[in-house]
Order: sequence, then structure tokens, then C-alpha cells
Amino acid sequence: MPSETITSESRDSAPAGDASAIGARTASRGTIAAFLGPVLVIYAGFIFYPVIRTFYNSLHTVGPQNTSSFVGFQNFTQLLFHDATFWRAVGNTVTFTVVGTVADVLGGLLLALCLFSQAPFGRLLRVIWFTPVLMSYVVVGIIWVWLYDYDWGLINTILRWIGLGAFEQSWLGDPHTALWAVLVTHLWKWLGFNMIICLAALYALPGEVLGAAELDACGWFAKLVYIIIPMLRPTLVNLLVLSFVGKMMMFDLVWIMTDGGPLWATETVSTYVYKRAFNWNSFDLGYPSAIAVLWSVMIVAFVVLMTRLLRQRERLEF
Amino acid sequence: MAVVTIEKLCKRYEGAGEPSVRDVDLTVGDGEFMVLLGPSGCGKSSVLRMIAGLEPITSGSVAIDGRPINHVAAKDRDIAMVFQSYALYPHMTVGANLAFGLRRRKVAAAVIDQRVQSVAERLGLTPFLARKPHALSGGQRQRVALGRAIVRDPKVFLFDEPLSNLDAALRVTTRNELVKQQHELGTTTIYVTHDQVEAMTMGDRICIMNGGKVVQIGKPLEVYRNPADTFVARFLGSPPMNLLAARLEQEGAHFFAQVGDGRYPVEGYAAEVLARYANRPVTLGIRPEDLYESTSANAAGARLQPISTRINAVEPLGAETLLLLSVGTGEELIARIGRETELRPGQSTALMLDAAAIHLFDPETTNAIPRRP
Amino acid sequence: MQGARASHPLGLWLSHLRRTPLILFLILYTVVTGGPFLWVAAMSLRTTPEIFDNPYGLPAPAHWGKFVDAWTISKYGTYFWNSVIVVGGAVILLTIFGSMAAHCLARYRFRGSRIVRIAILSGMVLPPQLLILSLFQILLQFGLYNTLPGLIIAYVATQLAMTVYILEGFFAQLPQDLFDAARMDGYSEFEIFWRITLPIGMPAVFTTVTLNFIILWNEFLYAIVLLTDDDKRTMPLGIMHFMGAHQLDVGMIATGLMISIAPVILLYAFFSDILIKGMTAGAVR
Repeated sequence: MPSETITSESRDSAPAGDASAIGARTASRGTIAAFLGPVLVIYAGFIFYPVIRTFYNSLHTVGPQNTSSFVGFQNFTQLLFHDATFWRAVGNTVTFTVVGTVADVLGGLLLALCLFSQAPFGRLLRVIWFTPVLMSYVVVGIIWVWLYDYDWGLINTILRWIGLGAFEQSWLGDPHTALWAVLVTHLWKWLGFNMIICLAALYALPGEVLGAAELDACGWFAKLVYIIIPMLRPTLVNLLVLSFVGKMMMFDLVWIMTDGGPLWATETVSTYVYKRAFNWNSFDLGYPSAIAVLWSVMIVAFVVLMTRLLRQRERLEF
Repeated sequence: MAVVTIEKLCKRYEGAGEPSVRDVDLTVGDGEFMVLLGPSGCGKSSVLRMIAGLEPITSGSVAIDGRPINHVAAKDRDIAMVFQSYALYPHMTVGANLAFGLRRRKVAAAVIDQRVQSVAERLGLTPFLARKPHALSGGQRQRVALGRAIVRDPKVFLFDEPLSNLDAALRVTTRNELVKQQHELGTTTIYVTHDQVEAMTMGDRICIMNGGKVVQIGKPLEVYRNPADTFVARFLGSPPMNLLAARLEQEGAHFFAQVGDGRYPVEGYAAEVLARYANRPVTLGIRPEDLYESTSANAAGARLQPISTRINAVEPLGAETLLLLSVGTGEELIARIGRETELRPGQSTALMLDAAAIHLFDPETTNAIPRRP
Repeated sequence: MQGARASHPLGLWLSHLRRTPLILFLILYTVVTGGPFLWVAAMSLRTTPEIFDNPYGLPAPAHWGKFVDAWTISKYGTYFWNSVIVVGGAVILLTIFGSMAAHCLARYRFRGSRIVRIAILSGMVLPPQLLILSLFQILLQFGLYNTLPGLIIAYVATQLAMTVYILEGFFAQLPQDLFDAARMDGYSEFEIFWRITLPIGMPAVFTTVTLNFIILWNEFLYAIVLLTDDDKRTMPLGIMHFMGAHQLDVGMIATGLMISIAPVILLYAFFSDILIKGMTAGAVR
């Protein structure tokens, strides 16, 4: 059918037809508008516009009743040079992210390897280990607040029980341990996710290559380092990026467990944004908008950098 | 010296009802090229993987030079394997692929270099040493896989259907290459395939497997000429041997096979053996190339007898012609005759059957009736 | 001992590790992962004094009545229904709008379709901070602040990208022949969508429904910014609020947590495969 050859050329070359649109892959403007309309409207109003508005706000002081006055880059200079709390939050978030991301992905890979080597009850374990991923941060956070409790929390209880009572801490109350305690909880929630993805990737590995490695005198460690990790590289890089972004934007868990305390030890950039917007003595949406803009730009920059560095150039087929 | 001895090898996979490999007995001599041939699922790859150590052995034993290797780890068996999909390490260069096994074994770097270079030269891979597998053609990858095995200088080579991913033309040249390399190196080789052409052309001996069991072992032409049962008879040879229901009749000291209204003297069998089947049904086997057009039949040594047939189809292939026929009983035959023929579908004609080439099989056991007691 | 259970080469991995440490680790990790939930379940049936007396004991007796109290007195019932309304509403809208857009992108070629597609999918990588403050302003302006419909709109906006991504990926794989045949049979475009894309694409639709449900049921940040009234709070907020006010009433909090977890566990029990696949969709390469 001639009209089909015309419309099946490069994607956008076919004009949006009129009511008599002919061809397998065209539809009238009205139809397309009807299908896409709601989504485009929602996007325009509740995604694009707010994002633009945030950028706009970052250059203003936005008071209550929508009063805003242009301040140029003042918010940004204030942020970068005079806001110690911001930098504290950045430090916390970056530490959290860097350590957490590596632990997340490596941990997920190791768990997947455990299940992949045909552990008994593999399917059941998979399901159980994935459960924390499905729970809200509220549930996870509160449970762990209780586990970390100084007096009756499970962790200290076990430490006392096995005679290591000297190590008991106020895990969330001590500025030195609080961030790490939150990190452990975060890992507890997300390891299952990385595990599932690594597991799927492991099953996709060609069995014969692993057999060849076996014959090439590879022990389990050598196989892991020389064969599995290199071949899993695209998946691992994806997981690193996903984990990285998720942790850089961390709000919920910190809010629930420590509210940024004690003494800003667990304050993250996201919680700081919220506090500057809604919990500050003077109401100004401009400043937190500036933080949001700056932080988003930094995240994008880091992700681009990471991908450039870690992605492999060629597509290895197997 | 590397003699591989396999005794009563069995494999049952977990959860499977039937064993996949049953009581396989096989001895491969030093430097011999042994082909394991059989249809898909017959267990030949399982046998190979058990020899390699990639699959645990359920029962039975595998020994190299008399030393049992059942409980020896794969990497310590001094065996190299070429996989069906080549199994090259996709993220390493060709050079690294070749060197990997030696590096892991802590061979001296200079030795590794020298061996890699010499293998690369031997197989024509020197220009590709810096490339990664995805930048190579199928034939080149196959050579790298072979090179990886050669560079290890092992006692035994194992091949798992290495040519099945190549196109037909490449397959012909590559199988010659492989045989040539094996002869030069003199390494004991076990080669698994489902392709009978590969088996016939490459093997010093072939071992035919079906349903997990060894059916016959022997030199290719011997197995072709004296198949042990109807399965082997039809597996080797393309088109396969024709099998017809017949009755063995005895007249004094002579025996005849009665097929429909054709009567063919049976020769080459000891009388005592045939006596057991006198006046009983047998299966008669005759290869397509042993049927001739009456006009052109003149093969030396042939004892030609007419067989009346009806022609169902004529398939001119250029170099020869295949006739699809039926005999009086309704059974179907294929005959292989000369380049051109006047015969047309629908015709009834008498072809000539070479009675000296008749094979007889026991219709119940499907085994070949032995020529000697 | 050669790995007796191995029938995959990597299974031979195991023959290099001795089994015992592995089994121990498996048990340990399972306890660490599943244990806390069992603990909360137990606590939900005990009174707070009982818990403080022996934090790790079993419910004896099991106070089922606590669930009723939680529902009514502690207002968990209100929170639960709010969550149902918000999440249910959002998921319905997401499914309808998302599948329509996905169908359109998957089936039709038109000028600008590439741009539209990039624009929609870029929503998946959007940091919430960029959105949330302005969204707050906008909803305030339209009187939708602190209302359930307002939150529904916010949820729809944030989850559309992922929904369209998953659905479009699936719909694009449906064979074009089906649609050609339907066209020739005289079906209108909408009928094609309704009678072919949706029924055949049901697995993907179901995946996005469960995925959206789980994500939005647990959602916290947008809810906390956009809702302030107690009787509008969704479940996560409600629990936090209760926790703030009655920090020591551990028993009641536990009961509330169980109520919150219940729908998820129920879904998980029946649809674990779909849930796991759905939650990890798009991340496997």
C-alpha cells in the first residue's frame, strides 16, 4: 500500500493528517489530541510550569501571599558563601551517598550471587529479602528507631546479651553515629532491589562463558572479578546511578528517624530545603528554590560525569 | 599420552525421571579423533560436560591415562574445550582471551607471550590480537575459541558442536582446518555433533548415541556399511536407508527376502543365522544409492534384481536425481539415480535393486541381523 | 566434594565455597530482613505496658481489639480511607491517561512525537525538590492546597512519566498486524484502543497499577508538604503525626503500622512475581 510506505519513513516526516488520514500509523489530529491531551495538560501545568517557576523563584525572594521581589543571584551567593548549615547538609548527603551507593550495589551483587549459586529455598528467600523494598519509609523508619533505642532496642539488647555491652550507643542520638545508623537502615530497605536486578542480570550471563572460565582455572573470586563484574558492567553502572540519585535526594528516612538531628548530623539537602521553606521564622520560598536548583544541577553534573567515566564504550554482545 | 577411558557413565539430572546418560562405555586412544554423534537430546553433550568436569557424574567413571578424574576439579583435568557458542570473554581482546587461562595458572609472562604468538600465527589470528570478540566474524571467533584451547597444550580437546553456528560454506573449510590442526598437534580429541557429514569426514572413529545410550562405535565407513540397528542405519546417510517389511523365505540352502511381489536373494549372511528367521517377518534395508534405473544399471559386483515401483515424485538436484517411490505394499522408498531421467511422476516402472547390498534387521529388536553367528 | 547440586556452571561457584558459611549467612540475612516485620506484627497485638515489660515476647493474650481502637480512637481509619481515596484516585487517573498517551505514542507517528516522548520521559529523572515548592504555590493559588484532590493531581503528575514509559514499551511490542486488521474491519481509533491495546496490554497495565499503588501508598514527601489538616492525612502522615503526639504508645503505633502494611502484604502475597518485576522494571539492562 503506497500510503504505508510514505508514512513508515522517518519518524516525524509524516504530517499529522487531516480527518481522512490514511496509513497504518497515522491518525487524525483530533484523535491524537484526545489521546495525548490529558497527559500534556497535566505535564504543562504541574510539571513544566512548576519547574520553570522554581527557577524563577530562585532569583527572587518569595514571601507570603505570593509577593516576590527580584534579587538576582543573591540567594545563590548567600547559599554558597554564607550558609554553613547548607554545607553541613551537603557534606552529610555526599558522604551518605558515596558510601551508601557503593555498599548498596556491592551488597546487592553479593546477595544475588548467594541466591544464584542455587541456595536452598531460593525463590522464597528472594521474596522475603525483597519485602523491605515495598514498605514505606514511615514503617521502615519507625521500626529502626525502635531497634536503635538505647534502652530497649534490639541492637543494644543483643550487644549486652553477648557481652559487648560496652559498645552500646545511642545510635541515633550521637552525632558521630547517627548518619551511619540512618545509612544502615536505608541499605536494609534497598539491598533487595539491587539484588533482584543483579540476579536477573546474572541469569542472563551466558553459561558457556562461565564454563570456559572454570576450565581456565578460575576460582570463585577470580570469576567474580575477571568475568562476572566486567560482564555485568552496564547493569552495575545503572544501579550505581539509580542509587546515587536516590540518595542525593534523600528526605523521607531522615525526616522520620532524626529530623536532621542531632545537631545537623543527619541533615540532608532535601530536609534543609523543606525546613527553609516551611519551618523557618521568615517565610521565603526563593531561598529554598535556589537550593533546589543548585542541587539539581549538581546531581545532573555528577550523573553525567559518572556515566562518562564508568560506561563502557562498545556494546558487548553476548 | 592421553587415553580417555569412560566406564559405565551415567547421568541423571535432579528432578528428572529418566537418566540422560546410561552406562556409556568408551575408550579413546591416544591422539585419536573420536566423534560422538547423535540426535539432539541423546546425551552426548552431557557426556562431554562430565568429561570436562562441568557436570557432576552420577555414577560410573572417567579416567585419563588410567587415573580416574571423577573428583578432580575441571581446571585440574588438563582438558580444554571449545564451546558451541565459542564462549569467548566478550570484554577482553583476542590476545587476552588466549592468554587468560595461562595467566590464571601463573605461567611466566614470557612463556605466555610466546605461546599466544605462535598459536595466533598458526590460526591466522595475528592481525586480530587487539580486537574484541564482537568485532570479529563468526569464523574468526571460532578460531579464537580453538586457539584458546590449543594455547593450553592440554592432554585432551573437547569440542561441543563448534561448527553449528557457521554457515554452510564456512563449515566445510573449517572442518578441514580443525582436522588438520588436530593431526599436527596429535592431541586426543572428543568431538560432539549431530551432523553426520561432520562425523563421517572428521572422525577416526565415531560413537553413535541415542536416548542416552551408546548404540555403536566404529570407523565411519564400517558403521556406514554395517549399521548395528535401524536407528544407525537411518541416521547415517542422506537420504536415509529405506526400510521395508519383508519375509525371509528358505529354499533349501538359499534364502530369499519377499517384499510384496518381489523376491530377492539374500547373500553375505551365514545360513545358521538366517535359519532362525526362516519364514518369519524381517525388516529389509536398502540404501537409496543401491537402487538403479534399469537402463543404466551396471555397477560392478552388483547382483541386480528388479523391483516394481510407482513413482510419486521426481526431484532433480542437478548432480543426481531423487525418486520418491512406493512399492506394491504401499511402503515408500527413496532412490538415488543419475543426473537426468526420463521417468515422470505417476509412472510405474521397475528399478533395479542390488541384492548384494541388502541389510536385514530384526523387526522386533530393530537390531541388525548379524552376518556371522 | 564436587558441587552435587550444580547444573549451571556458576552453580559450581558453590563448590568453591563451603556450604556452611553460606547457609549461615542466608539464615542470618533472612532473619534480619523478615524479623522486624514479625516483631511489629507481634507488637501490634500487645499493649504498650506489655511491650515495655518484655519487648520481644509474643502476644499473650493477643489483643485483637487494638485494631478496632486504632481504627476509631486513634483515627487510623480516617487516615486509611484518605490513603485509599488519594491513591485509588491517582492510580485510576494514571491508568487511564497513561495508557491513552502510551497507546498514542506507541502506535502513531506524527510530527513532534519524538519531542513529546522525550518531554514525557524526562519527568522520570526530575528531582522532587524542583517541583515541590512551586507545586505548593500553585495548589495554594487554586485553592487545592490541603485538599485530597490537590494531592491526587500531584501524584498523577509525578507518576505519569514512569507509567507512560512502562506502558509504551509494552504497547510498542504488540504486533502491528492486529491493528491493521482492526482498522480494515472498520474499528474507530478509540475502539481499537479499548478493544485491542488495553485487553492485550493488560499485563503491563496491571504492572503499572500495582507499581503505582505501592509507590503512592507509601509516599511521604508530597503528602507532608501539601496536606496539613489531620483529617486529611494519608496513612504515612497519620502514623507520623500519631508518633509525634504519642511517642511512647509503642503498641498503638505498631498497630497502626500493621494497618498500613496490610494492603501491601496482601498484594505481595498473591502477586509477588508481578510486584518484583514491576518495581524493578526499566532498571534491568
